[in-house]
Amino acid sequence: MKKLLAAALGILTAIGGFVDIGDLVTNAVVGSRFGMSLAWVVVLGVVGIVLFASMSGRVAAVSGRATFEIIRERLGPRAAGANLLASFAINLLTLTAEVGGIALALHLASSVEPRLWIPVAALAVWLVLWRVKFQVMENVAGLMGLLLVGFAIALFQLGPDWGELLRQAVPPSPPGTEHPASYWYYAVALFGAAMTPYEVFFFSSGAVEERWTAKDLGTNRLNVLLGFPLGGLLSLAIAACAAVVLLPAGIEVSSLSQIVLPVAQAGGVLLLAVVVLGIVAATFGAALETALSSGYTLAQYLGWSWGKFRRPARAARFHLTMIVALLLAAGILMTSVDPVAVTEMSVVFSAVALPLTYVPILVVANDPGYMGEHVNGRVVNALGTVYLVIVVVAAVAAIPLMIATGAGS
Amino acid sequence: MTSDARERIVDARLHLLGRQVLDADGEPVGAVDDLALAGPEGAGAEAGREAHIDAILVGPVLATRLFGGRVPDSRLPRIAWDDVGHVGTAVELTVPSDRLDAVWVERWVRDRLIARIPGGRHDPEAEE
Repeated sequence: MKKLLAAALGILTAIGGFVDIGDLVTNAVVGSRFGMSLAWVVVLGVVGIVLFASMSGRVAAVSGRATFEIIRERLGPRAAGANLLASFAINLLTLTAEVGGIALALHLASSVEPRLWIPVAALAVWLVLWRVKFQVMENVAGLMGLLLVGFAIALFQLGPDWGELLRQAVPPSPPGTEHPASYWYYAVALFGAAMTPYEVFFFSSGAVEERWTAKDLGTNRLNVLLGFPLGGLLSLAIAACAAVVLLPAGIEVSSLSQIVLPVAQAGGVLLLAVVVLGIVAATFGAALETALSSGYTLAQYLGWSWGKFRRPARAARFHLTMIVALLLAAGILMTSVDPVAVTEMSVVFSAVALPLTYVPILVVANDPGYMGEHVNGRVVNALGTVYLVIVVVAAVAAIPLMIATGAGS
Repeated sequence: MTSDARERIVDARLHLLGRQVLDADGEPVGAVDDLALAGPEGAGAEAGREAHIDAILVGPVLATRLFGGRVPDSRLPRIAWDDVGHVGTAVELTVPSDRLDAVWVERWVRDRLIARIPGGRHDPEAEE
């Protein structure tokens, strides 16, 4: 249990990255349309995010500098400003989707009109940002989000043909009914979701919030090695549930209630309640993560005082940024835009912003001025370079694929 | 940097521009958005002549670096180079941020908005 709490930062980061409201839907859509044939992308994404999150955590622990400070310092104001613009937009879109997601999940649990839940959800998120201690926040949101493990339990109870699931996954065999461009569009979307930049912004800033030093490099390793694979497993379980129940039935996922259909079928009301609670916690956690990231990125780019460990008055512009972001998110939702559609777009855009985030991390992780003896080893550098190539390919391919496939439809 | 016994070569572009500025208590003040150079004996800096860093510029100067244009000198929030104590992965000052004019925006937002919301001065780390 103590180890699990020590890894709460990594778990919350991963839940926000892998199973936030947009990914819940993307995973289920992927499972219901492509079976397990995109599982390899999740594995690829997990390895990538483990690699770069551990680098960003190591830089933060050793030098005390969070990721966007590094981006600003290494890329200069122009390129870093472009990254800020893209990242901030993604953050805001995702935050919008999460606040909407909390409202949808509460609607699922209470059948009260979601639009009434939106102000409640936004206010609740703000209160946590304003008042709750960082460690309490990450422990509660992270551990409650783990209730999504209900999807894995449901999968076992469904008693699927494991051999068939494995055959879909290795070697990847997309169903013949789908166009290859759609297949690759979802591949990029899943990869972008796994490696979405706000994860490293949040993780490295969280390391500073928790005052990690070079002594905490073991904690850093534990966090990334426990958190992100767990997030990946949850997302695979959701896809597998959809592949087992929804794919054969020919159901195309378009709403949250369809995602939990396999759970209700397998485990009845009790498991459904557990999973819905998990969805509320995961979307709430992701809302906290993206709201904080919007404050972290802007404050770190401009050098403002930031952090939840300070009194709000000692990080005034940081808190103001988050308040404005939440107001914008609630305002966008009040126009009755579909939060799920919003986040699906944002995931693809995040693929475009990936290289501008990961190149500076790799560069600084090799700078002895920052890292002293803790610079990257050869294996990490080799892997990092390979991933940069993949990231650039995904970034270049993202927009054309989105246009060619009409966003995957 | 007067007290540093060891000589060290600092590349202004690589080691100064864009770095975080921390005050005497380690609180972030701003980023090094630009540097004001001066020639010997108070004269303006000229290309090809000896020059030294007069001040760190923060805030609105960033916009002019990005989009061009000029801010009148009197409007440039500056932190005197004499207040700099150490240059590492961050630029550390020897004065507390409350004594710096350059951070008036932060102070304004704090006093007019954030500190007025209930709980604005609550210490999140304190045991309740």
